[in-house]
Amino acid sequence: MSILIDIHTRVLVQGITGREGSRASHSMLEYGTHVVAGVTPGKGGEMTEDGVPVFNSVAEALRAHSEINSTLIAVPGKFVRAAADEAINAHIPLINILSENISIADIAYIIALAKQEGVIVVGPSSVGIISPGKAKIGSIGSGGLADTTFTPGFVGVISKSGGMTSEISRILSEAHLGQSTALGIGGDALIGFDFLDAAVLFEGDLETRALVIFGEVGGTYEDRLADAIREGVITKPVVALIAGVFAEQLPLGTTLGHAGAIIEGERGKASVKIATLREVGAHIASTPEEIVTILTNLLHIYAI
Amino acid sequence: MKLTEWEGKKLLRASGIAIPQGERIEKGHTTTTISFPLVLKSQVLAGDRKLKGGVLVVASKDEFEKSVDMLFTTLIDGCLPDYLLAEEFIVFTEELYVSFSYTSEFRTPVLSLNHMGGSGVHEATLTSINVLKTFGETEITQALARAKIATTQLLVVTVENLWKLFQQEKLRLLEINPLFVQRGGNVLAGDAKIVRDDALLLPVEKPILQLGGDIAIIASGGGASMLNIDILMRAGGKPANYVEYSGNPPASVVEELTVRVLQEKKVRGVWVVGGTANFTDLFETLSGFVAGLRRITPKPLYPIVIRRDGPRLAEAREMLARVAVEEGYQLYVYGPETSMAQSAEVLLQKIQTV
Repeated sequence: MSILIDIHTRVLVQGITGREGSRASHSMLEYGTHVVAGVTPGKGGEMTEDGVPVFNSVAEALRAHSEINSTLIAVPGKFVRAAADEAINAHIPLINILSENISIADIAYIIALAKQEGVIVVGPSSVGIISPGKAKIGSIGSGGLADTTFTPGFVGVISKSGGMTSEISRILSEAHLGQSTALGIGGDALIGFDFLDAAVLFEGDLETRALVIFGEVGGTYEDRLADAIREGVITKPVVALIAGVFAEQLPLGTTLGHAGAIIEGERGKASVKIATLREVGAHIASTPEEIVTILTNLLHIYAI
Repeated sequence: MKLTEWEGKKLLRASGIAIPQGERIEKGHTTTTISFPLVLKSQVLAGDRKLKGGVLVVASKDEFEKSVDMLFTTLIDGCLPDYLLAEEFIVFTEELYVSFSYTSEFRTPVLSLNHMGGSGVHEATLTSINVLKTFGETEITQALARAKIATTQLLVVTVENLWKLFQQEKLRLLEINPLFVQRGGNVLAGDAKIVRDDALLLPVEKPILQLGGDIAIIASGGGASMLNIDILMRAGGKPANYVEYSGNPPASVVEELTVRVLQEKKVRGVWVVGGTANFTDLFETLSGFVAGLRRITPKPLYPIVIRRDGPRLAEAREMLARVAVEEGYQLYVYGPETSMAQSAEVLLQKIQTV
């Protein structure tokens, strides 16, 4: 098993004729994922080099390919809001946004609409989702690196950083610790799908036996996960690597005025996230390599 | 990108929000058109300027010149102002705290209010805003009531105008602290802290973080960058500055970023570092790095450690090896066989042996 995507995943790519969209769809096809259609307004009726049919709109693509159950948005940042609007209103249940540089105002709108319409938005700035050996959505594991970096197994990887999703998975794979699903949730201040959203799915996934998270200074997503561990909602072992302790040496109050401090308080600090997660029983790693040591110990001691 | 109070207040005025009468004061100015007593404020980007000595009340013309000199030489959070703001002294009955920002807590915009604003405010009543619905007079009146703020029509309109400005300009933060309420109900923005959304900037306009040490860092991906700075500092290294690119930028963007980072005179070593890239073309981006390196004078002969992994790594390594010989650079290139932490240690050793 895996979360979010598997062998039944049928992908639409919005922005399929663009630079990132064509690269991502090519690498998904290479991985054996079913990319059934693409959208680029004005290019309807064309075929990509990989033989994927292009449509003018999401609605048109869905009329021709009702099997579509997920979409990758890979359009330039300023067009993401309109692309997401189309996908959400068409009720595609899983929307993965690869695009970066989206204004927070647009992200807030997309998140609100997705919530109202009951669809999942992973991202923005998400490197993608991979269930090794089954399917992948997005750029994750491009350039022929997917097979060595990601291997099937029992670790669920959730990361705010795309590069670290792969770095951690590669280090795990080298230690023969495969992944059930690895996903980049994006590092923006507002994201559609956070650590807890993913952890809840991993908790219910029989194949997943441990979670690895890569978090960062800022925001409260790590805290939401810590609360759920404390409350017993998440019971599988969690190994956490949290970056950005250095930021505490920068002058305070320079980033987001009082508002950041008033709303987040101390919770945004990397050191506080580490302390909170440790307090609820998560295992803290300080380098990616340490994750392997911790997971190996868990395997031996607790036979997870 | 943060705006100074002066820049912020220009935006406020253009949006119909009242501000005190003010004048921008340049270095060496000895007079002002603002009548005394007045408030003189250092236009640095720091918070809590009053507590840090960046705000002076000037009673008379005689004190003005001395106060101007003082503020131009007072460091606040390590920064000196480029200019000052002289403003009329406001007599008020209330100082409110009002801000619009976003929070991961609700994943929405949020209105924060406190009936006691001013320096040192540390709590507020939060109102999460549903962007799919109207946030207007009714909602603002309710939010003000929950924060125990006496509501007047003018106050509601002011907050509504702030919300419109926040949305129209797609701001990250719009904070008015204090918002003065005067006898008779007049409302004036006493300060303005505005942060624009960096997502709307071009890649070459991204801010470079100055960290005061001697190692320049060009990192890939935000998360790996932060982790690597932590790792470098734990190993005893001192970052000079840091810039990060993510995604798959063209060589020209990396070239510009490289030039901007390496122009810093104190640099004694460079760390180009990233995790396992998913779709960053390493040959392309590292070619951009080399192009930037070639533009730096005098020729950088300090150690440069590159640790990357991802598409086209082999081609990139070959190109870097050739360039190192051609130019005489001290380039040390590592792939996934060397951890990011190990590459930090290599860099520190090389700097010590120089």
